[in-house]
Amino acid sequence: MQSDIPSRRWPWFAIGIAVAASVTVAMLSPADAVQGELVRIMYVHVPAAWLAYLAFGVTLIASIGYLLSRNLAWDRIAASSAEIGVYFTGLAIVLGMIWAKPTWGVWWTWDARLTLTAIMFFVYVGYLALRRTTDDRRARANRAAVLGVVGAVQIPLVHFSVVWWRTLHQPASILRPDGPAIQDPIMRVALLIAVIAFTVVYVSLMVKVAELHRVNDAAQAAEAGEHHPVAGASVTAPGLDPGVGNV
Amino acid sequence: MSEWGWVALAYAVAYGSFAVFSVSVAARIRAARDRLDAAVEDPR
Amino acid sequence: MTPSFTSQVGAVVKRDLRRQRRRGDVLWITIPFGAVALLLMPLAVGTDAGLLQRIGPGMFWLTVMLFGVLVTVGRASVETQAQRDAASLLGLDPAAGYAGRSASAAALLLIYEVIVGAIAVVLYDIEVIGIPWLAVTLVLVAAGLGLLAALGASLVNSDSGGSALVPLLVAPLSVPLLLGATQAYEGLRLGSSILEWMLLMAAVVLSVAVVGVITARPLQES
Repeated sequence: MQSDIPSRRWPWFAIGIAVAASVTVAMLSPADAVQGELVRIMYVHVPAAWLAYLAFGVTLIASIGYLLSRNLAWDRIAASSAEIGVYFTGLAIVLGMIWAKPTWGVWWTWDARLTLTAIMFFVYVGYLALRRTTDDRRARANRAAVLGVVGAVQIPLVHFSVVWWRTLHQPASILRPDGPAIQDPIMRVALLIAVIAFTVVYVSLMVKVAELHRVNDAAQAAEAGEHHPVAGASVTAPGLDPGVGNV
Repeated sequence: MSEWGWVALAYAVAYGSFAVFSVSVAARIRAARDRLDAAVEDPR
Repeated sequence: MTPSFTSQVGAVVKRDLRRQRRRGDVLWITIPFGAVALLLMPLAVGTDAGLLQRIGPGMFWLTVMLFGVLVTVGRASVETQAQRDAASLLGLDPAAGYAGRSASAAALLLIYEVIVGAIAVVLYDIEVIGIPWLAVTLVLVAAGLGLLAALGASLVNSDSGGSALVPLLVAPLSVPLLLGATQAYEGLRLGSSILEWMLLMAAVVLSVAVVGVITARPLQES
């Protein structure tokens, strides 16, 4: 009996198309008057940062969904979104650094957004580390969901505290990795397309990672069900009919 | 490094890591399916 | 007849503090650890008095955030799954259990802050000003961190040996407390407004308390 969890191929195609679209608009859009060609980095950095926050929000909603319904599907969504989220958060930070170095001469600045993104990265890492402490699906889901809710409730407070802190201690030369606001309408459209493309990538990855969790859970359940000897290994449970499939 | 150099680096990192992440997810799904099939077909 | 919520909380606090007195992790391990960190820091960055006076308060609060959390971790505090099961069988309201553990953690943190704080004042020649507001800050941080640390400890199953995970979980979420405490001290020194920082820390205490109490029962049910 083959596993009957469907394997979908469309997410991979969707990712390919989204990447192609994103690269195209990034290359076709004009260079910036101030930042030159470096502005093209915006078309990967900003969408990555957007996804980091989106994935975080989905993890929060799914955590609440699990706590209310106790349906493990919600937990799988939360876990998938967290895994994809930590990847995009890390990517956003690295891309921000690649932008900052040629623009400002330093790899890192302590401005509010970068600092917040770094903090969020470690909240994700903690969430994933917590999930690794147990294989018991129920316990893992319970704990992760509670952490998901606590984390999400605290993030606005973290945000305010960091923004107020930076407002008080604004350095003399204001380093803003996202540079001056985007005025050119073509660039705005290009950025929007890039954000949509990355969102398509996020949804596609969610489908696949959620499938991964479903298959893993099913495998774990099947293994547990199969290897449950009755009264120890000396007695094997009688089968009802050797011709019928497994219980 | 020229401006295009930095842009190329950023794009290599972004899309390169996309590819690595996607491939790793696909590989892990395959391994999980093998594990599931093995558990289900175990005659015990 | 089930005892009232408050008396359950009180019982948990008494039990935790009694355990601390018997096994004394906080007195012998957590506080010395914080003190050692304060001692080592000037060896790492230099002993210039001006520098140390500037970063001293921040260093102190940092040790509170990173090491203070350990008051909920360790032999005397950690709860095994068996102990939790026993508690739920005995009819202990999980919310009362969480409230009690948070309160005892906050009390232990306050002791940590006072002792390690005194050491910081001596080592870094820190100016002690605005004592009333300083006291409020110490209490707010102890309460907020106690609630976070107790929640973290209840998420991490001690059976799986994941106790080092609690500081990692709490650290990023403690940022509002860290910034609130350090900026409040700065504000007291410079004579500027610190009300928003006090309110921010109070918001942390309130929000974690609410979430922690609401999720205590669902968390226990496995």
